[in-house]
Amino acid sequence: MTALETASAPATTATPALACRGLSKRYGDVVAVEDVGFAIAPGQAYGLLGPNGAGKTTTISMLVGLLRPDSGTVLVGGTDLAADPTRAKAKIGYVPQEIALYPELTGRENLRFFGRLFGLPRRRLAARIDEVLDLIGLTDRADTKLGTYSGGMKRRINIGAALLHRPEVLILDEPTVGVDPQSRKAILDGVERLVEEGMALLYTSHYMEEIERVCERAAIIDHGRIIADGTRRELVSLVGTADKVELVLDGDVETAFAKLRAVEGVVEAARTGASSVRLIAEGGRYLLPALITAVDGSATVTATQVIEPDLEATFLHLTGSTLRD
Amino acid sequence: MWRALWTVSALELRARLRDGTAIVIALIVPVTLATLFGLALGGDDPPLKATVGFVDLDGGEFPASVRREVMAAKELKGSVTLRDLPSREQAGRELESGAIGSAIVFPAGFSASVGAGKGGDVAVLKTPESPLAGVVASAIVDRISAVVDARTLAVRAVLRAGVPGDQVKELVERNGAAGPAIGLADDPLAGGKIDLSVYYGSGMAALFAFFVVGASFRGLLTERKLGTLDRIRAAPVAAWVPVAGKAAVGFALAVAGALLNWGASVLIFGSTWGDPAAVTVVLVAHVLAAAAITMLVTSRVRTDAQADGVIMVVSFVAAFFGGSLVPVYNLPGPLQTVALLTPNGWTSKALTELAGSGAGLAAVALPVGVLCAIALTAGGLAVLGFRKGLLL
Repeated sequence: MTALETASAPATTATPALACRGLSKRYGDVVAVEDVGFAIAPGQAYGLLGPNGAGKTTTISMLVGLLRPDSGTVLVGGTDLAADPTRAKAKIGYVPQEIALYPELTGRENLRFFGRLFGLPRRRLAARIDEVLDLIGLTDRADTKLGTYSGGMKRRINIGAALLHRPEVLILDEPTVGVDPQSRKAILDGVERLVEEGMALLYTSHYMEEIERVCERAAIIDHGRIIADGTRRELVSLVGTADKVELVLDGDVETAFAKLRAVEGVVEAARTGASSVRLIAEGGRYLLPALITAVDGSATVTATQVIEPDLEATFLHLTGSTLRD
Repeated sequence: MWRALWTVSALELRARLRDGTAIVIALIVPVTLATLFGLALGGDDPPLKATVGFVDLDGGEFPASVRREVMAAKELKGSVTLRDLPSREQAGRELESGAIGSAIVFPAGFSASVGAGKGGDVAVLKTPESPLAGVVASAIVDRISAVVDARTLAVRAVLRAGVPGDQVKELVERNGAAGPAIGLADDPLAGGKIDLSVYYGSGMAALFAFFVVGASFRGLLTERKLGTLDRIRAAPVAAWVPVAGKAAVGFALAVAGALLNWGASVLIFGSTWGDPAAVTVVLVAHVLAAAAITMLVTSRVRTDAQADGVIMVVSFVAAFFGGSLVPVYNLPGPLQTVALLTPNGWTSKALTELAGSGAGLAAVALPVGVLCAIALTAGGLAVLGFRKGLLL
């Protein structure tokens, strides 16, 4: 069972660890982000789901104080970011999408540098660096230069640098881009542990399965606007009870595709390859015989797969495109 | 906040010292170039050992007085040698062979003409191969010219007043317009510089100050590319901390580089730059102006590669027109005016003043003020530019 499946309604009674309201940013005529708002309670993981260019990074840049919004407010643990940026930023751990570290320094030196910026006293910082290195599993490589690390190890230091000051909210912008499966697992395990310990989490990704695994709630952002927000169940219910049905065809695929679109119960249809199609269909698993019959005479169905509604289907339904488009 | 500033500065200093660029750009290259320029252009150049031909076709009191004053001038002792030559033609041949660097020719009847209130022309023969010897000869003749003008004016005034011709000379000399009182000792070169080691030492220090501070500001753009700048900005530090942290290190390294260049010039050539306090103030003001200009460049370009290119162009243009590469007095008149549009020009002017006259801080108040004004203006524009990109 995923984190999104187990979640219930958002916690709203405590002061949110991170809340934003009416965030907007324009560049000339281009709307990068418009009227974005959400709240994350302490110990809650919140996902921001959207394709590249949807406005995720712009939103995060405004949340961490790198970009001044045209309008809207950001509250970090109740502190207004615009009014008291130093105090608000001290509560945030920000993990940028790129490896924002110094390659000529060792892992430990990188952590020490960023820890000092958060004003940690020398001894406490040294102790925290050891704890963080242990948490991210890099104690044995701490004193070698970052330039010699693998991509996954760099990613882990990238996250570690945001944890030194024990932030109230951790903001992760696409933290697993380009990492090997082993490092990805280590990162996700670590993030889940932090949430269990009570840290609030904002997690952006275009890997649907990561959001489903880590986050209790998620928002789908597209063209700078949040178009859906809720638990997994709430989001998936937006596409109704439709299943995703994938078919591999042999024969006149074009004619067969047209016939499949016309079958009653098929909500959406898309060509996914030269001989494959993907359908969103009400009660798709029960519709399978009708679909096979429909293409008879034009093509033969050589393989089928029925997938229950998920966030991918929801995203497709809401935006008309896949996350990796 | 100061701790964050120190943290950023310490990292920058460590990076600059670790990769060796600070030592190479601030010290090794400028000192080497200044030494090479000094040796190549200063070794046999007439101003250091200038031989000036002296053609006296007049035989009167003016040429004799000039010879006497030049030989007696302490500042020219050991630097300028007068060689008597019988004719203008002989001076031309000697000049062509390189035996002399320039020549002064007094025509026949010169003293008599001046004594009669008719003035007179003294010729200066120069060659492009020995420009500074030409400057020496011209400076001497300028002084003669001033005295001749005064004498001519006085004689005419006395004649017009109806004084008989045989009493004119006595009356004029009695009233302080005696021709031969030339007095070359105080300002032998009319602002020109003799010691090329000072000239090129300070010139290289001024040029490389741009590169040293520029490297730090360029680092800001590199950090923006790496993403570390955003990460620093996302920490609870003031927006100015990353810029100030790098600026402080660039400034300190550039000042240290300029002072070390000065020290090297003294050690290698035994040259004197002038009053130490005043020289230090001028160098600090120059680095301040260079820092502000390179900061302005950094605030207006997009990438570190662009910054490299633009800083290099700006540095060399300022160095050329400001006299860091070619002595200002060797530039044509209009370019000498252009020199004053550059910080290098004012730095050169100030250091020339200090090295040539032994003056103190008061003498360079104007150049230092101008350098500070350049720093304020460029720095202000840079901050406005940073606000749009690197600060917020």
